[in-house]
Amino acid sequence: MKILKTIARLTLALGFVAPIGGTAAAQQKVTLLNVSYDPTRELYKEINAAFAQEWKRRTGQDVEIKQSHGGSGAQARAVIDGLEADVVTLGLAYDIDEIAQRGKTLPADWQTKLPHNSTPFASTVAFVVRKGNPKGIKDWNDLIRPDVQVITANPKTSGGARWNYLGAWGYALQKNKGSEAAARDFVARLYKNVPVLDAGARGSTTTFVERGIGDVLIAWENEALLSVKQLGPDKFDIVIPSVSIRAEPPVAVNEVVAQKHGTSKVARAYLEFLYTDAAQAIAAKHYFRPTGPRSLAKYGDSFPKVPQFTIDQLFGGWAKAQKTHFADGGIFDQIYSTAGK
Amino acid sequence: MSVALERVSKRFGEFVALDEVTFGVDEGELVALVGPSGSGKSTLLRVVAGLERQDAGAVRIHGEDAAPLGPGDRRIGFVFQHYALFRHMTVFENVAFGLRVRPRRERPSGSEITSAVKDLLQLVELDALSARYPSELSGGQQQRVALARALAVQPRVLLLDEPFGALDARVRKQLRQWLRQLHDEVRVTTILVTHDSEEACEVADRVAVMHEGRIAQIGTAADLLRETANPFLGAFLADSPRPSASAKRIDYH
Amino acid sequence: MSTTIAPPAARHGIPPGLRAARRTATAATGESAIARWILIGIALAYLFLFLGLPLFVVFEEALKKGVGAYFTALRDAELLHALRLTLLVAGIAVPLNVVFGISAAWAITKGKVRGHALLVALADLPLAVSPVIAGLTFMLLFGMQGWFGPWLRAHDIQIAFTVTAVVLATIFVTLPFVARELIPLMEEQGVTEEEAAVTLGASGWQMFRRVTLPNIRWGLLYGVVLCNARAMGEFGAVSVVSGRIRGQTTTLPLHIEILYNEYDFTAAFAASSLLAMLAVVTLAAKHLLERSHHAARARLIQEQQEKQP
Ligand SMILES: Nc1ncnc2c1ncn2[C@@H]1O[C@H](COP(=O)(O)OP(=O)(O)OP(=O)(O)O)[C@@H](O)[C@H]1O
Ligand SMILES: [Mg+2]
Repeated sequence: MKILKTIARLTLALGFVAPIGGTAAAQQKVTLLNVSYDPTRELYKEINAAFAQEWKRRTGQDVEIKQSHGGSGAQARAVIDGLEADVVTLGLAYDIDEIAQRGKTLPADWQTKLPHNSTPFASTVAFVVRKGNPKGIKDWNDLIRPDVQVITANPKTSGGARWNYLGAWGYALQKNKGSEAAARDFVARLYKNVPVLDAGARGSTTTFVERGIGDVLIAWENEALLSVKQLGPDKFDIVIPSVSIRAEPPVAVNEVVAQKHGTSKVARAYLEFLYTDAAQAIAAKHYFRPTGPRSLAKYGDSFPKVPQFTIDQLFGGWAKAQKTHFADGGIFDQIYSTAGK
Repeated sequence: MSVALERVSKRFGEFVALDEVTFGVDEGELVALVGPSGSGKSTLLRVVAGLERQDAGAVRIHGEDAAPLGPGDRRIGFVFQHYALFRHMTVFENVAFGLRVRPRRERPSGSEITSAVKDLLQLVELDALSARYPSELSGGQQQRVALARALAVQPRVLLLDEPFGALDARVRKQLRQWLRQLHDEVRVTTILVTHDSEEACEVADRVAVMHEGRIAQIGTAADLLRETANPFLGAFLADSPRPSASAKRIDYH
Repeated sequence: MSTTIAPPAARHGIPPGLRAARRTATAATGESAIARWILIGIALAYLFLFLGLPLFVVFEEALKKGVGAYFTALRDAELLHALRLTLLVAGIAVPLNVVFGISAAWAITKGKVRGHALLVALADLPLAVSPVIAGLTFMLLFGMQGWFGPWLRAHDIQIAFTVTAVVLATIFVTLPFVARELIPLMEEQGVTEEEAAVTLGASGWQMFRRVTLPNIRWGLLYGVVLCNARAMGEFGAVSVVSGRIRGQTTTLPLHIEILYNEYDFTAAFAASSLLAMLAVVTLAAKHLLERSHHAARARLIQEQQEKQP
């Protein structure tokens, strides 16, 4: 333990560990750690700068927001293991539920603390296809055609990919008048068309875009738009299905930690800031769909209209969906083990 | 008595390597220690040098109990079978080592060290090669360096563990004569371990024969050759490569 | 990264005398000139394919948008922080593992310590487990749900997800490299030189400083180079224990991955080129040290020969 302390002191002395938060009130500058998931790096970089300006104007205090990104589940795990996040902004409510339940650093009813189920902006699931859409993919039912190869990540490991799976399920459910059996059959056929299951969403994007595997990539709309813009507007097209799932990446103050850091107030202000027009505009710029009514009115037209169902409507919330579909031995395990045969 | 062992025993686990050995070497004497492989010759030298600790008994050097002394404090010169020269040091530095590591107060000055080393290298006839590294010397030259290095600390006792064991017969012969001359010159108390009874008889004042951790016999070469009382000893000496040569040598003595 | 440990004699400076001997030995084995050229050709092609080409691509990509973009990318504050952190981590991990490596190798080969087979196996452990597993194990120890986490938290010591964690994980992962190099080397050298030094009156420290250390220095240097390369390049374990806090706990390899995932290829490859250059600098330093040593030695021998009639 002595060695640990010495190293800790040494690194402190060398100025590498800015104690996160600390006794913030007394300090000039306050630091927040935002633990987020993969596709929001660029978004939060911009939002953080805007918030810092706003906070300085409002209180005269400097605020620095540190970012940590990774797979949503892995990030939740890190917070549970003690990563001192002041706020968490993850890919699905289930991951924050896990933090509440296992890490006990935020209350079980965290999702009621902020508007729209604590979801400041949303996305939906869309398809990326090769330029000109050579396979003529228009909707979910094209994905189960035997001549189509589908790229999506493993829903057991990737939060983003869970939305994809549930999107397909929801489509089939609606198409077949609520028949679970039909939905199950549809999803099983879809995963039979998946040649590689990457562990994370960015991994499957790379598989599709850079390794050139597959005919269609199922992705979040924002991720699809971003990668097409970054990697080749001349190489890919985006297809919006007839109906899709509303992807809701929620946010929460990691209350116990924020309290310890003395950052509760600024953390909450930061998350509230996400709902302001300024932040919503930034989100729209990064292809996230705003949720504020005014912003919706302003940016709604730039996003294709698509009827969307939510997790709560079709699956009875994340806890239930997780248990039924993605837990060990759940429906995904069952259909995927048969899909390979 | 320059070196005296009193009922010295040494065990390695269950194995008894030295079994109550009592044995003395006079001032200025050269004693050869012969005996078959595994009989405990090296162990005896290492106990005298302090590289191993005996389990029982006492080692005295010049009458002083050596027990409290570490190997560095016994003023012993040790020459190993495979020379054990410092491979990254020149011949000169090898010989100077024992002087350079002395505590500051006792350390000779740089020029004193240089002249002392030069003298020693002259003594072993290697002054021309002082800047060479050990790997650039022949086996016989390396062993002479090892000897000069051991002598540099002006030891009270010189311990040689099969110093010529790794050399070919011709070089061995030269070196052993040379060793005898050297001993006549510096007259430092010496224990020489060897496999070769001819070598023992030729250079030593007295020969001790070891067998299974004990001194089986000790005496002058002539005595030992005459006395074949001990059947083992007879066998050992008869085994020696050139009995006629050793006999001749003994007549001559 | 997988590491193969070659026998020490194959790498450590060959004395000039031996080199000539090698040459005649090659001639004596009598392989034909064609066979030799084919072998050399294969080796070169292999090196080019697996070393030259990737290195080239790194710099190619980094400079694709011009030298200006390259240097702009290198001036980024987070990248510079990652670079400094990487140097700090290596700067702590390498010296500690040198001390550990020498002590362990000494204990195992010369100290006649009991149960040294176990010690060898333990020192090898980090090579046998995947770095990611190492990172997860680290979390099991120091994470909030782990053994020491709650106690550390109660005493207000934060280990997991700090630079300290990055340093500790790196130390663990790079622990075998120096010891691995030294153990076979010291085993081969035995203890007689040390015994000789002791009988000549050297103290323990003098023996170590003047005899043991010079004898192992090339092996040690090689171990340091390996250890350092791994310390600066470690990804898996560090990725788990760092919490990936940008500009705080992200080392250069982590930062490169971040940049790559952000589709910022110029910056990603610019950072990669930094890492590659650090490796080149390390190797160059090693080479220079060796060369200056051999040159000094050659000079000495020459002087000696000139003095002789
Ligand atoms: N460190 C040790 N551990 C265990 N046994 C040892 C050790 N050193 C020596 N022995 C044993 O003690 C016995 C005597 O060894 P020693 O080296 O003294 O023999 P020796 O007479 O010098 O033989 P040789 O002529 O082959 O050198 C041998 O059986 C040897 O195996
Ligand atoms: Mg012996």
